[in-house]
Amino acid sequence: MRLTPEQLSARKRRNVALALALVCFVVVVFIATVLKLHDNDAEREARDLAAAEQVQ
Amino acid sequence: MTDTPTPAISTARPEDFFQLLKPRVMSLVVFTAVTGLVAAPGAMNLGLAAISVLCIAVGAGAAGALNMALEGETDALMRRTRGRPVAAGRVSSNDALAYGVILSIFSVALLGLSANWLAAGLLALTIVYYAGFYTLLLKRRTPQNIVIGGAAGALPPVIGWAAVTGSAPWQAWLLFLIVFLWTPPHSWALALYSAGDYARAGIPMMPVARGAKSTRLQILLYSLVLVPVAVIPGLTEMGGRLYLAVSIAGGLGFLALALRVWRSRAGDTPDKAEAEGREAALYDVRVEARPARNLFAYSILYLLALFAALLVENAPVIGACPSCG
Repeated sequence: MRLTPEQLSARKRRNVALALALVCFVVVVFIATVLKLHDNDAEREARDLAAAEQVQ
Repeated sequence: MTDTPTPAISTARPEDFFQLLKPRVMSLVVFTAVTGLVAAPGAMNLGLAAISVLCIAVGAGAAGALNMALEGETDALMRRTRGRPVAAGRVSSNDALAYGVILSIFSVALLGLSANWLAAGLLALTIVYYAGFYTLLLKRRTPQNIVIGGAAGALPPVIGWAAVTGSAPWQAWLLFLIVFLWTPPHSWALALYSAGDYARAGIPMMPVARGAKSTRLQILLYSLVLVPVAVIPGLTEMGGRLYLAVSIAGGLGFLALALRVWRSRAGDTPDKAEAEGREAALYDVRVEARPARNLFAYSILYLLALFAALLVENAPVIGACPSCG
């Protein structure tokens, strides 16, 4: 089966859009992971500090 | 030898898939979710807040895609919706369904990971409620479809609130209530001058099922409840003087327009475009239907103004957490 130029062009544009969406998704997951780790570290530090102050 | 049928090759463009997300609805969802997120006490890392809003937007878009996938045939019967990708045949309903399901799963999972699982659960509930409960069950069965289904559109501020605090207290549900009570007068004002479309598609919208007169009365009654409820945040810590002024002045305007709709003959005759057998223009209506058109347009402005006032009064809170970086 031979695709028409219109079908080929539409398929190519869909593929490019899908690739971009996947890249965006990976970047968003990466950023979310880094920010969550940072948040968790900050929370732990605050907890440790509060515990240390209580002991003193 | 018999000819084998040629498989259909899609010519759908990326823009069609974007249209499946109902971008105009999505923008309102984003706005109300951001308001819930900003109005909530406490603060959230700005990056995580942005990702949460993105997840809520994509989740709402996924619900829209599922709605279009399930309603392609109905949409094709209505002038307002027949240009949608599935109704127009540019995207198959199976593709739209798969697209909606995948986006739903990813948006809910990512919201759970980046914010918390209460917010993710509420987003999942919104999607299932809108695509399953409203689209498949309610819409064709009861003229109260828009009232009950409106809960899905009212949940985003609660999701935004839950993303920050991990809880959904009464203040968040107050924002829910405002959007919930706003939906019927807003939707029925539009339905009053596009009832022909709904009748053709077999959807029992209030003007089709109960008539224009009853719809006009119900618009007024809902407005009488909505306006005082919308003032309440101004009396709590959530809103201040600006919100109070906007909700009172805006509410009086809303009531005045609802009163005009009640006294009008909007919806008594087919809308102008229908009578002339041409494409519907959202704001080009008969003289007697103009009060309904005016209320429809004003209602959008009213809701935007209420939430914008809340945003302005609570905006400094965002990113204020010193430990969040």
